[in-house]
Amino acid sequence: MLHVFRNTPHGREELLQAAHFCNTVQASPVVYIPEFTKFLLYLENDVVQVDLDKTFLRSPETAREHVEEIMAEMNVDSWRFFVPRHFSTPALPDVPVGFHFMGCPHTIADLRSKAGAGYIGPRIRRILASATFPVLLFSPVFKPFTRIAVMFGGKANAATALRLAVRLHRLSGLPISMYTAEEGRRGRKYYEKLLSKNALTGVFAQSVSDWHIFPRKEFIDNLYRIPHDALVVMGAYGHGAIRQLLMGSTVEIIQAHLPNSLLIAGPHYRGMS
Amino acid sequence: MAFAFRIKQWIGRVFPQGPAGEDRLLLIVFGAMVGVCSGLAAVALNTSLHGMESFFGQYRYNWWSFLLPGIGAALSSIFLEKIIREGAGHGVPEVIYSVSRHGGLLRMRSTFSRLVSSSLTIGSGGSAGPEAPVVMSGSAIGSNIAKTFSLNERQRIALVGCGSAGAVAGIFNAPIAGLVFTIEVIVGEWTALHIVPVAVASVSGAQISRILQGNQIPFTHLHFDVDVTTTVAAAGLAVVTAGACVLLTRMLRGSHHLAGKVPVPLWVRAAMGGLAVGIIGLFLPHVLGEGYHVIRKMVEGSFDGGFLLVLTLVLAKILATSLTLGWGGSGGIFAPCLVIGSFAGLMFHRGVDALLPGLLSVNEGAFALLGMAGMISGMLQAPLTGIFLIVEVTGGYETILPLILVSVISSTVSHAFEPSSFYFRDLVKKGHYLRPRTDAKVLADLRVSEVLEKDCISVPKNMLLGDFLKVVQQSRRNYFPVIDESTGEFAGMVHLDDIRPYLFDSLLHDTVFLEQIMAADTETVDIDDELSDVLDRMDASGAYSMPVVSNRRFVGMVSKATLLDRYRKELMLQTTD
Repeated sequence: MLHVFRNTPHGREELLQAAHFCNTVQASPVVYIPEFTKFLLYLENDVVQVDLDKTFLRSPETAREHVEEIMAEMNVDSWRFFVPRHFSTPALPDVPVGFHFMGCPHTIADLRSKAGAGYIGPRIRRILASATFPVLLFSPVFKPFTRIAVMFGGKANAATALRLAVRLHRLSGLPISMYTAEEGRRGRKYYEKLLSKNALTGVFAQSVSDWHIFPRKEFIDNLYRIPHDALVVMGAYGHGAIRQLLMGSTVEIIQAHLPNSLLIAGPHYRGMS
Repeated sequence: MAFAFRIKQWIGRVFPQGPAGEDRLLLIVFGAMVGVCSGLAAVALNTSLHGMESFFGQYRYNWWSFLLPGIGAALSSIFLEKIIREGAGHGVPEVIYSVSRHGGLLRMRSTFSRLVSSSLTIGSGGSAGPEAPVVMSGSAIGSNIAKTFSLNERQRIALVGCGSAGAVAGIFNAPIAGLVFTIEVIVGEWTALHIVPVAVASVSGAQISRILQGNQIPFTHLHFDVDVTTTVAAAGLAVVTAGACVLLTRMLRGSHHLAGKVPVPLWVRAAMGGLAVGIIGLFLPHVLGEGYHVIRKMVEGSFDGGFLLVLTLVLAKILATSLTLGWGGSGGIFAPCLVIGSFAGLMFHRGVDALLPGLLSVNEGAFALLGMAGMISGMLQAPLTGIFLIVEVTGGYETILPLILVSVISSTVSHAFEPSSFYFRDLVKKGHYLRPRTDAKVLADLRVSEVLEKDCISVPKNMLLGDFLKVVQQSRRNYFPVIDESTGEFAGMVHLDDIRPYLFDSLLHDTVFLEQIMAADTETVDIDDELSDVLDRMDASGAYSMPVVSNRRFVGMVSKATLLDRYRKELMLQTTD
């Protein structure tokens, strides 16, 4: 799991979450301490320039030490630092994308006025739209999660989200709760058919402990049902800027109302090997 | 995106793939589209450059005019670094890097950023050219069109080439030069797959430029009576231009290196370089800007001043270009090369004329042309680009014999002193100059994870030899990774040869542990290592396979046999037209 570290109290919370996530799902954190305020992610059909704010470059002399301390505190034995080998220009390192996960704050650029709940920065959205790995959006404060809540909305990427949740369940043993905001009057049968169509009925029966279906109109009210200590797993459709502007994004609605960490699989996520 | 996908499907239906699955017709359509867009970018740059020149020109006669290049360079740097956040380099090397390493992926912001920044630098008097910025812009347009239509990597590289060709063709009104420069410098692959769409893009770019700016060539077409003496003398000029190329390359590098040591923000650094150029310009105004007006005078044979002045101008232009580009201004080296080359040609003609009066019967303007060709060919180490560019921008074919000679000799002599051209040097140094169908490119396109052999049986280090022999019976491999079962970490390797001494002593089967016979100091490979490095290490140690370890855990083996198999498949993929 790629983690871009910032040597600040917020950065500490983020790394604690990344470490806990990796311990839980048996992943190995790869920590990048940036030396420049930007880096490039060459994704399959896109190149995303990630512009970091200056907090990511704070106190470089203590950054390594702080990472080592946190990793020791969280008992992460299998981790390493990432040092870029390739540079597109002398001040623009390339960060490889062959990771299973990437950890991000919900906005990574210096947009303080927008860095509130309900806002996901454009760079993060681009990463989500093109990445072949899921992105973990950190909550403001570290809290160990003890269960998995998967959002199964019936859209194209819902099945991907459920598969990802099941995979995490197998790795961690954590129980899965499934949440569906019912569109119109489709009813439970519609979603069961959807599970069957995606060959997920068996997996669902074995792995999902409870399924909550509620009307789409009451979506925000029903987010209260999601446990405070759950890792929320969901799929993102990755629609374009105009549709985003007109219709908003479910990811942003959830991010605005839930303090939990979100693990989001974009449309190009192909599943874990 | 869905709309773009539908258009791509429609184009695919109208222009179906050929029998071998070629997509040339599809690429011709996209090539034309990219050529038009990059031609428009070239026209936009030309227009904004003229706008900037007239804006800054009104202050040119004030006593403080020496500050203008500094102000322009600072604004250019602020625009790139603070507003666009480009993290900019020289432009063309970035395009080549992207083609070599990342299938031609370029950022959207690069489609316009250099157009604005280079207008500010050059329009204010900085010694640079608009060609590299427009190549960057055109290539980024090609890349982003390919991205929008979800084209594959091979098609995307072709469209990056189309963008570059359309841009060069548009800015110089020189379609052949656009084609040749792209194939020789950017794509590096003379195959029909690239030549066809790139040629179409060149035509589109030049045509757009002709529609919007008129069918003009940058320099006046004059008739030169070239005789055998001129052709022979061109060889001497080639040595002079090669010397100027080496000097310019080293000055650019030295200047960049020196600027990097000055602990000030980038825009202040750019301003310092620009200010120094402004001071030079106070005494020698010919070094300021792109300098095409000076070239016109030299080609027409109406440039005043003696040998020493021209020599001084050669050196001053080299210094001014190094200060502009090395210290953070934005622009390319094409135009400065043309100016330096024409000064060098003039200097050579006047020098020969002073030593051997009457030997050279041809007008000195012809030597200005030859100097330009020598300088471009030497600097880019791309002789065809030099030859075709000068033929097209001057509209004269009669100088073709000495042009060819000066271009090939200049590039050869430059190569002897600087083995890589200005564009390629850093890329070669870092191993990023990867041309298609080469060993380095094939290896760079493969990852350790793609050649990983996962059918190895891991064994714990406290396993008894007797138990291990049962494992060996079930396996077809000679190597066995040994794991520390308490931590899961890789501990070493056991090869069948290692157990041979113990095989026939059954007493040892129940007393020897694998920890005692394994090779604990086995050299390992990281999953993120480059395959070329892995292969070098195998060659150095004489090993045929090595364990791959990630985060101290064994993940598989990498062997020469599997590598060769994947290498062959990748090579076949890259060489299928």
